[in-house]
Amino acid sequence: MSSTDHAHHEGESYFDGPPGVLSKVWQWMSTVDHKKIGVMYLFAVLFMFFLGGVSALAVRYELLDPVRTVETMNEAGEMIQYTSGERLAGLTNIMGAKNANEVYNRIFTLHGAIMVFMFIIPSIPASLGNFFLPIMLGAKDVAFPRLNLLSWYIYVIGCLFGVFSILLGGVDTGWTFYTPYSTTTDADHWRVILMILAAFILGFSSILTGMNFVVTVHKLRAPGMGWFDMPLFIWGVYATAIIQVLATPVVGITLLLLVFERVMHIGIFDPSMGGDPVLYQHFFWFYSHPVVYVMILPGMGIISELIAVHSRKHIFGYRAIAFSSLGIAAVSFLVWGHHIFTAMGELAAVLFSGLTFLVAIPTAIKVFNWIATLYKGSIAINTPMLYGLIFLFTFSIGGLTGLPLATLATDLHLHDTYYVVAHFHYTMMGGTVMAFMGGLHHWWPKMFGKMYSEKGAITGTVLVFIGFNLTFFTQFFLGTQGMPRRYANYVDEFQTLHIISTYGSWILLLGFLVHLGTFIVSLIAGDKAPPNPWGGLTLEWETESPPIEHNFHHEPVVTHGPYDFDKVVPPHWDPKDYPLPENPSSH
Amino acid sequence: MNTPTLASANMPFFQKLIFGSHGASEAAAWSDGLFMMITWFSAFCFIILMGLMVAFVIIYRRRPGVAAQPSPHHNLNLEILWTVVPSASMLVFFVLGVRGYAMKMVAPDAAMELKVDAWKWAWKVTYPNGASSPETNFLSFQSNMDELEAGSTDPWMETKGLEYPVFYVPEDTAVSLRMNSQDVIHSFWIPEFRTKMDVIPNRYTGYAFHTPKLRDSETVLDTTSMMQIPGRDMWIFCAEYCGDEHSRMAATLRIVPQETYDAKIKEWGTPKDPIVLGESLYKTMCKICHSVDGTPGTGPTWSSTNGSTGFGYEAALANGQSVMRDDNYYRRSILDPNAEVVTGFVPSMPAFQGQLSEDDIHGLIMYIQSLSDRNPNASESGEENQQADDSAGSEG
Repeated sequence: MSSTDHAHHEGESYFDGPPGVLSKVWQWMSTVDHKKIGVMYLFAVLFMFFLGGVSALAVRYELLDPVRTVETMNEAGEMIQYTSGERLAGLTNIMGAKNANEVYNRIFTLHGAIMVFMFIIPSIPASLGNFFLPIMLGAKDVAFPRLNLLSWYIYVIGCLFGVFSILLGGVDTGWTFYTPYSTTTDADHWRVILMILAAFILGFSSILTGMNFVVTVHKLRAPGMGWFDMPLFIWGVYATAIIQVLATPVVGITLLLLVFERVMHIGIFDPSMGGDPVLYQHFFWFYSHPVVYVMILPGMGIISELIAVHSRKHIFGYRAIAFSSLGIAAVSFLVWGHHIFTAMGELAAVLFSGLTFLVAIPTAIKVFNWIATLYKGSIAINTPMLYGLIFLFTFSIGGLTGLPLATLATDLHLHDTYYVVAHFHYTMMGGTVMAFMGGLHHWWPKMFGKMYSEKGAITGTVLVFIGFNLTFFTQFFLGTQGMPRRYANYVDEFQTLHIISTYGSWILLLGFLVHLGTFIVSLIAGDKAPPNPWGGLTLEWETESPPIEHNFHHEPVVTHGPYDFDKVVPPHWDPKDYPLPENPSSH
Repeated sequence: MNTPTLASANMPFFQKLIFGSHGASEAAAWSDGLFMMITWFSAFCFIILMGLMVAFVIIYRRRPGVAAQPSPHHNLNLEILWTVVPSASMLVFFVLGVRGYAMKMVAPDAAMELKVDAWKWAWKVTYPNGASSPETNFLSFQSNMDELEAGSTDPWMETKGLEYPVFYVPEDTAVSLRMNSQDVIHSFWIPEFRTKMDVIPNRYTGYAFHTPKLRDSETVLDTTSMMQIPGRDMWIFCAEYCGDEHSRMAATLRIVPQETYDAKIKEWGTPKDPIVLGESLYKTMCKICHSVDGTPGTGPTWSSTNGSTGFGYEAALANGQSVMRDDNYYRRSILDPNAEVVTGFVPSMPAFQGQLSEDDIHGLIMYIQSLSDRNPNASESGEENQQADDSAGSEG
């Protein structure tokens, strides 16, 4: 707020507030500073990641063994029957569910709904994007700071709707809310409506953030920063923001129609009233396909930063990467039909298959560019770079395993199986979450002014990598061998792979706990971070760690490109510590 | 026991690792071949990319005082190359994918047409002569009897999987499916034919497959004769999430010689004892929600063992009224189940109006009656039944 702003001295970090707990809380809750809002988003999305992660562990725990009816003799010599393998049955009464299967169905729905709507969509743009987009542009704040705070509050209200729906027992619709199941299940209860409204409300937060970022990028770039002088993270977030603004209203309308359908039985998706249940799928994926690029494009932006900074190389093919972000954003609006190959006519299926292959090209180009960037670099093996390399590994698997899904003949077999589950976890978790973790470690010193233990962070990274691959690589084989998605139970021959997958999820948990510990130790006892620990050239490294209230003492003027590592000694670095090559390359 | 097996011999190591068994038709084998082609292409690209990445990281790892070496920031020829080569590969996969899709979707003119009906949570296949299969099969059956006889001291124990319907199709025959759902969206997936299609309430969907020739070694246990007969079992799974028992919405597709198939559907097509008919319909269609041992499932039990449910007993409805469970009550509950929902249950049963014949409904009611101690057809319970009829009349 302006009154507190004036009380600040130049050079004070953004989170030095007034004394007193209450005034500190009020200062954070009423702040219009994009950095504070970014940090509040960070903690909110990490909490949602925790909730979604707990439900994922519960899903994996249930799937350790198949459900069996066992007939045996008790001590008195009587025949008794009991059911084994329903590991979540203990939650039946707590959740008010009919049986153990419904408990499972509610938990996988929670996992999907929380991870998609409350964690992964806002994760990178709203937390790291909010914090760093204005600083990397050399601006004091986003274009509409108050709108920015409003979008955080809308996000929290949306999450509260979701959490409230969970406390009332949760919903079993699947995160996709397919009709007519979603309009008929649990018909006498309003928790389903609460969950749909949660997604509806979260959409507004997404639209407002997107709009804010588009205007910020257009209007608030520092003097000297042309479009092609922008860091590639900005390009990623910018392409994302365009999708958010254009696609999210569609899902808003769709979810509202779903609520009308449930409450007033208007019949737009109900076949007995002349509606069409598959129409819902088209509406839903018209938003939800572009939104997978909302999830991945900011991650790709982070990877461009990580690879360039930590190998001290100019990014290879800057324009190709920037334009491929926009290309992906454009094509993403034309491929929603590939989620519905098994419920559409032959001609539509063929057209959507062809369009889907188009998305593969710009994605492949980005991967080639990142690897070419490493060539002749000075590559540091630290946590952010490790996550960058892990991203290249897991995201390449995610992308390549998408090819048989775009291919019609093979998709008929793989659709709605564990193969699809493995594929999108390799892109979403192996892509976005790995990039998010890399970005978090890369910018942590800047955000909080503290270094973290490199040993602790690398231990966590290695555990996450091993756990992730054990959990999800097995699932490709489950899918090709015949295991359908969203099954609380399965036939015996799939058990071995399920056991490996569940053990993997425990290693994954351990890895994230190590990261959590490392971050907590860093906040309490970390060394003070220098302004530019990695030798970055983008503008956030020119200011202090943590940045001052208004980001910069003077409006920065951009005199070099974001990746001119072979020409410019990074800010705050002594030229003795940063050798430059004798013959810098020309563009 | 005759569990459908996914194991099979004579296939390349990696293909066996990935799919576990041969595709059961030419179209399935063709699409497996395409999958392997894409996978080898992907593996090749992946190994090259990761090999370069690891090599660069090792060769160009940071050394104190050594600068990164200059190299071009872009290279048009290289960039054109790595745009054109993937694009060309995508085009190949796309075209082959469409060809394989046509193989799976288009039925030959002479294909035998099966009608598939789906509801929460069962499948029903109707044959061209109007008959449908009453046979069921326990799967995943395990017992430690053998170990006990070998001297193990563990207590006797037997584990059962669940009971699934068995659908018969003749070997070496083109089959096409016409599918429709009575409630939510389901998906009819036969993994060994490598294809599935959603089953939707307001339209027909379908696909086609050609059943394989049986090999001499392939036999299954016929549960009516308890004999090993030539045959091959395959799983059918529901692949579109449809609620509580989604993971139990499975069935067995049994490929048998033409003579066996003909005999089976002829037998099923002829009239039989209504209680036997009712019981077989129960096992294939109703059992997933309704028990006959007194335990409540998704729906109420049909048994009167606990003295308050079953035929001839009053039902308290969710709307506060009560109604006598008589023949007309059961008829209404089958045809329009959500009109009278018993208290403690939620409306979740699909309507069977138009799905069952008069004989089927009669058979089911006869079977339900036979489970009750107030069965009017059992001579010793005649008096009780009279009371039941009186109270039914007074409830009006």
